[in-house]
Amino acid sequence: MNARAGVALAWKNLFRHGRRTIITASALAFGLLVYIMADSMLRGIEVDTERNLILYETGAAQVLAEGYLEERDLRPLRYAIETPEEIESALEESGIKAVARTTFSGELIVFQDPFPEDGSVQVTGYGIDPSDDGDVYRLEETITKGRFLEPGEDGAVLGGWLAEDIGADVGYPITIVTRTRGGFFQTLELDVVGIADTPNPIINRYAVFVPIDTADFYLQMEGAVTEIAVAGKLRGVDRALTAQMEQELASFPGVDVVGWDRLAMDYVAIAQTKNSGSSTILFFVFVIAAVGVSNTVLMSILERRREIGMMRAMGLYDGEIRRLLLLEAAGIGVIGAGIGIALGAVTNYFLVTNGIDYSFWLRDMDAGYRITGVLRGVWNGDTFASAFAAGVIITVITAMMPVRRALRTTIVESLRTD
Amino acid sequence: MITITNLVRTYQTGDNEVRALRNIDLAIATGEFAAIAGPSGSGKTTLLNLIGCIDEPDEGTIEINGSVVHAGKAKERALFRRENLGFVFQSFNLVPVLTAEENIALSLSLLDMPAAERRERLRAIIDEVGLTGMEDRRPARLSGGQQQRVAVARALVKDPKLVLADEPTANLDSETGAAILDLMHELNQSHKTTFVFSTHDPMVMDRADRLITLRDGRIVDDDLRRRAS
Ligand SMILES: Nc1ncnc2c1ncn2[C@@H]1O[C@H](COP(=O)(O)OP(=O)(O)O)[C@@H](O)[C@H]1O
Ligand SMILES: [Mg+2]
Repeated sequence: MNARAGVALAWKNLFRHGRRTIITASALAFGLLVYIMADSMLRGIEVDTERNLILYETGAAQVLAEGYLEERDLRPLRYAIETPEEIESALEESGIKAVARTTFSGELIVFQDPFPEDGSVQVTGYGIDPSDDGDVYRLEETITKGRFLEPGEDGAVLGGWLAEDIGADVGYPITIVTRTRGGFFQTLELDVVGIADTPNPIINRYAVFVPIDTADFYLQMEGAVTEIAVAGKLRGVDRALTAQMEQELASFPGVDVVGWDRLAMDYVAIAQTKNSGSSTILFFVFVIAAVGVSNTVLMSILERRREIGMMRAMGLYDGEIRRLLLLEAAGIGVIGAGIGIALGAVTNYFLVTNGIDYSFWLRDMDAGYRITGVLRGVWNGDTFASAFAAGVIITVITAMMPVRRALRTTIVESLRTD
Repeated sequence: MITITNLVRTYQTGDNEVRALRNIDLAIATGEFAAIAGPSGSGKTTLLNLIGCIDEPDEGTIEINGSVVHAGKAKERALFRRENLGFVFQSFNLVPVLTAEENIALSLSLLDMPAAERRERLRAIIDEVGLTGMEDRRPARLSGGQQQRVAVARALVKDPKLVLADEPTANLDSETGAAILDLMHELNQSHKTTFVFSTHDPMVMDRADRLITLRDGRIVDDDLRRRAS
């Protein structure tokens, strides 16, 4: 059968039961729409999380003392960088913005009056340099109440949710019980000077920021810091940056350069489970679409039993019949995929421009994601291209079974009249 | 044209063996207009399917123009059918989404042929079967007789050596059936195409040049009443 006649016939057969074709295509389109939406939102979460990690928690990469990562939960101050200024200036000379921080853990203790009630809560303390912390982090811009820290003061900035949980306000006195670098108990008496509502839930819930020189004094760091964080790109791990840092710091023994991903293993693990979880969902969406398609193709083939028998008797090769039927199925796929990505594009436009307000929901869950507030979708051309291709391919593949069945039937059987 | 030797076709249904054709010997010459008659279940369809190379015998051979086609591969048989055979079915078997003309053109689309010749052949056969003016109608807008005319045209347009028709009038009233038979006979004369068709309708038998009667899978009568010229 010549190609033109074949395409023309497949095209006409496609609209033989127009409504059925459209319903089947719509099932496929719905599947693709779910896929596109889910992918857009998950990418949005990833983009947001990585951004909020890098800008509020880890920087793009950090310089750490060897051994720090392994020990940080038990003895966070033991492996510290002894000569932070030298490392900072070595990095800054090669154009990398770097700031020192000292991270410690402690118990925050508050008493009734002015607080609503007595209480204590585990917190993470960050000694930060108020003069240049903004080179890497965005904390200062998120102060919603009071003011940012000043060098040397016995003041603290609290994460917004932490402040809310304990009922803190600007001017309230707090106590943090921690251990010095040498392992002795130490008490920091601080006044709340500001409250920061950051888009990073971990910071919002657990962080207490103090000036780094204040931390240095109470923790007896003697000029050492736990980390030097650097600025870099906000999406993905900046391998070029870490490679450059390693080169610049070759002459400093006992320090490691690590990307943000190694500092936020909880998120990376979550992102991986999420990927496998969402592919399970997608798999089921596609199975449902595929069942619809194969059912429709099967129905058409059963209906056309004698017609197919006639064409085979007439001398069409099995390959030609198969091509004819698969071409028709591909037509359903193209229509469904076309509708699917068109709806996907419209929906995604709203996901990208308006987003979904998740704040109330995320507040109550500890998901490892660093997002608060509005979650926005992301445009990703590959998703649309792969959705289209997947739609067509799935349709053709699911059509293969019924087509094979039609061709296994003998011609005589296909032509039977009764 | 057709030489059938010791043809046997047996169907196996569970434990039962149905001997649909028992040792058939038959020769049909080029240009014949031959009817295969016999009651329902006598083996007419089975015989036509075997001659049409869409079924395979259990024993015996069928030679068509010197070649034993059923011995070949499925694809070779398909190629033989598309070049040499035309089929007309009891239930017309037109493609409902195609117009009358497109249905006829379907069988030409299997052959390599210049577009001009294709058009000329279509026009000529549509004229011959009396469908001029109805080319653009789909089967649903044609009467049964007209649909069978389309089917006859579809079989004839490629100028096959042999046309096989299994009960071509069974779905038509007797007047329309007679007209189809007359049309087939005219085409048999004008195109010199060999026709073999089955029927159990006496009116159709009357119009055949040769009447081969089957009963229980055997030829019980072979009546060369009017030799084709
Ligand atoms: N696919 C089949 N399986 C089993 N028996 C069959 C099959 N096809 C035909 N037969 C049997 O073979 C015999 C001849 O059938 P058929 O050639 O269709 O006769 P006719 O066309 O003269 O009515 C009948 O007894 C019929 O029941
Ligand atoms: Mg029959």
